[in-house]
Amino acid sequence: MRGQVPRRTIFAFIGPAVIGLAAVGIAPLLYAAWTSAHFYNLTKLKRVEFLGFENYWTVLTDEVFWQAMGRTFFLLGTALPLQIALGLGIALVLHQPGLTLVKTLARLSLVLPMATTYAVVGLLGQVMFNQKFGVVNQLLGGADINWIGDPQNAFAMIVFWDVWQWTPFVALVLLAGLTMVPGEVEEAARLETKSKWIVLRYVQLPFLVPGLVAVLILRTADTLKLFDMVFTLTRGGPGSSTEFISLMIQRVGFRGFDQGLASAQAIILLIITIVLAQIYIRVFYKEV
Amino acid sequence: MKTLRNLLGTAAVASFIATGAAVADDDWSLKKAAEPYAGTTIDVVFLLRPGYEAIEAMLPEFEAETGIKVNVIKHPYENALGEQVRDFVAGGDLDIALIDLVWIGNFAENDWIIPLADVQAKFPDVVDPDLDIDDFFPLVLNAFGGWNDTLYGLPFDNYSGLMFYNRCMLEEAGFDGPPETWQELKDTYGPALTKDGKYAFALQSKRNETQSADSFARMLWPFGGSFLDDEFKSNLMSDESQAGLKFRQELMEYMPDGIVAYDHAETVNGFSQGDIAMITEWSAFYSSVVSPETSKVADCVEIAPEPTGPAGRKPALGGFSLAVASQADEAEQAAAYLFIQWATSKANAREYLERGGVPARQSVYQEDGLEDFKFVPALVESWQDGVPEFRPRFAEWPEITEIVQEWGTKMMLGEVSTEEGAQEIGTRMEAVLDAAGYYSGDKPLAQ
Amino acid sequence: MMTTRSYWSQIALLALIILVCVFPFYWMVTTSLKTQVVALESPPVWLFEPTLANYREALFEDGVLRTLINSLIIAISTTLLALVLGVPAAFALARFEFRGKKDLWFWFITNRMVSPIVLALPFFLIARNLSLLDKHITLILIYLTFNLPIVIWIVTDQFRGIPYDLDEAARLEGASQFTIMRKICLPLAMPGVAVSAIFSFIFSWNELMFGLILTRTEAKTAPAMAVSFMEGYNLPYGKIMATSTLIVIPVLIFALIASKQLVRGLTMGAVK
Repeated sequence: MRGQVPRRTIFAFIGPAVIGLAAVGIAPLLYAAWTSAHFYNLTKLKRVEFLGFENYWTVLTDEVFWQAMGRTFFLLGTALPLQIALGLGIALVLHQPGLTLVKTLARLSLVLPMATTYAVVGLLGQVMFNQKFGVVNQLLGGADINWIGDPQNAFAMIVFWDVWQWTPFVALVLLAGLTMVPGEVEEAARLETKSKWIVLRYVQLPFLVPGLVAVLILRTADTLKLFDMVFTLTRGGPGSSTEFISLMIQRVGFRGFDQGLASAQAIILLIITIVLAQIYIRVFYKEV
Repeated sequence: MKTLRNLLGTAAVASFIATGAAVADDDWSLKKAAEPYAGTTIDVVFLLRPGYEAIEAMLPEFEAETGIKVNVIKHPYENALGEQVRDFVAGGDLDIALIDLVWIGNFAENDWIIPLADVQAKFPDVVDPDLDIDDFFPLVLNAFGGWNDTLYGLPFDNYSGLMFYNRCMLEEAGFDGPPETWQELKDTYGPALTKDGKYAFALQSKRNETQSADSFARMLWPFGGSFLDDEFKSNLMSDESQAGLKFRQELMEYMPDGIVAYDHAETVNGFSQGDIAMITEWSAFYSSVVSPETSKVADCVEIAPEPTGPAGRKPALGGFSLAVASQADEAEQAAAYLFIQWATSKANAREYLERGGVPARQSVYQEDGLEDFKFVPALVESWQDGVPEFRPRFAEWPEITEIVQEWGTKMMLGEVSTEEGAQEIGTRMEAVLDAAGYYSGDKPLAQ
Repeated sequence: MMTTRSYWSQIALLALIILVCVFPFYWMVTTSLKTQVVALESPPVWLFEPTLANYREALFEDGVLRTLINSLIIAISTTLLALVLGVPAAFALARFEFRGKKDLWFWFITNRMVSPIVLALPFFLIARNLSLLDKHITLILIYLTFNLPIVIWIVTDQFRGIPYDLDEAARLEGASQFTIMRKICLPLAMPGVAVSAIFSFIFSWNELMFGLILTRTEAKTAPAMAVSFMEGYNLPYGKIMATSTLIVIPVLIFALIASKQLVRGLTMGAVK
């Protein structure tokens, strides 16, 4: 029978990975669960007290926490449609025949933003978006826009960099989808209709769906994880206008030193992440 | 007669001690005191600021004399607390604690630092007879280095809030001197100096320590407000506190847009570029605004004490002391003490000052030839009388400052009113203090 | 067949794409060659006398060189470890039938989604108890939390694409499962392995938060170093950009060389 192998063999293959990941992935979580049930402040380790679910209650009723969560999803809701629209446009341009050399160049340059260290993107943002000596205002014809100091503009700036860094990813994934469309089918469709939209909607789209699903999953996860770029660019400011969930937890845990509360926040975030991942993967990835 | 004799007797004893000290003086030398500890390496966190660069430039001298190696780990201010807390919690390698005055309650209550007297008792041979602790400005020594009547650290990188003003801009607008009061600054200087893309004033207000220290607290005190009342409840809803916070909102009209994104760097930079006429900043920035390499207005810079408010002159107070860490081993503790004593010594104060540091020694400011350091008179005046609890120095400050930073910037952005913001800070601050045990009587009300 | 107009508009679009992708790097490199005074010119200047002083200072005075070496050691080690652990696991997930396989696969993949801040707090406390702070091994291990899922995701997929008949034949000849994996399937799965290695390396090289929290001096990584110049007192923009350039250029060159594999990897888990 296909795939029937002794337990011992299975374990020999998969055991090390499971143990390894459990050691670095699960053990800390258990520890976090423990701290989250305690008053556990790094600067007050002389007084560690059992609190039960009090930290969770504090988090769940803290509007600041939910505002940060809402802001995170708002970012996803703003940046992702832009990434998909622009990414699809780029993919369609690259998919057209001809101009091989320029297209190879374009494809290569698309790789660059994705590979860039996220923290460096934030530093670059500080330099380029500075109100006085930033090149962005200069390129906008000597505009005097206060990017970093205005809540709305700062948020827009974060969206810009997220779109800059991840649109290429969407474009390349969708381009791969487009190349999976059998040539004859596409040609036949083009003979039938002149409308590019109809070709896209009825011929190409079915091949793009799996890619779009992957994009949705990965961008959701990465937005919940988003830290580095914002930390180096705005540190969550001005006010709380760019304080996304991971930044907020970092602030509570490592600036306020309340590790108990931060652990509770982190575990709630983890639960939200797992639920979303479950939904996405179970719904869209039926195989395996 | 009896009194006179007593007096003479005391004088004799005093002179005897003085002579004794003088004798010991001849014996004591850094080199000799350090002999048993040569080869020891001590680790310390430094910031990327002028006072640290000054002492780093002097370090080779110390290392050559003592054979002690000083391993400097540099961090930006905003990371320095976290780095040190994590190191102390982990029982790491730091042998010296760099303590901002608002961290001292925290460090002391955790026993991460050793009282100065204990170190001196443990290693009597390393104590310089010429230490002269009374030479430090008492306010500074007490606020930066002391907690609960115990002295832990010696003041090292010392600030007072000062008013830096651009004489040329003020003269052009018809003023022959800086404003005396905050009210005057807003009502008279503000409108006259804010035009053509230039601003009268800038108050660094980024959501960092700078929001609580340089912006929020700076407007509370001169108007008679404070963070806490005598019972340690929030005093932010009092008329005085509200007056200060409202004044801040009104003053924003004469500040650059996006002031809530201004940290020290942006503020000093705006002043140095000639875009801002007046700033209230730490004395430590003096060397940067008068250096032609970093400042376009070097020739126009003048210094005055901070303006006064209805409650008087309450300039911002801030600064760092160095203390011996309890996690260091014996040799490291002694070596660390030697370094701290040397870095803050009377003998080195002048050189430290000339290299861009700001010593807290009274004697150095009485010396001649300090005309080039225009900040000295204002600084000395500010240190005569200040508010040590300008920001409360208790162990809960790191948590409370986060709250102040968050709601303080929201206030400035107009997302909440000064009342709503103060209410929010008050509730959250009291929750922290309650958890710490101040209200149940478990903890003495010290700030 | 293309009309001249659409030809030119296509070229213009492609040029725009390239420009937008590349311009920030151009600006980063030129800023890194400016002195502080030039960097703070308003409006910014495009032509100036370049200086290498920022690089000299960053590399030799501030110790960026050492952090780059640390990053390299850590990224390579964690990538190799992820492969050693992940490839056999991927083989088992692709080839063997056992109970809970789906859940196991799901658990592996979920780790890729977990925010590092969830693990950073407790991992810091554990590392502290085990005296593992500021050690290379600590980052090498914690980076497994995102590298192992990548390896398993991509390589499982790759193994699944290899016809089963091949190992059937080998099994009849008496080869063990391990031999089958190593001799028959692994060579065919090499593209997937390479792709996941590239991803692991890039993600590890770029990681900031763990580096910031778990290291101090000895094992400090390059991104953590770049952040440490951000003092509120003085922002040395030239030096920050020089350090950024030093961090980013190696990984960009690497990504360009491996761009074919990279693009395939992106789409591998995604399109199938």
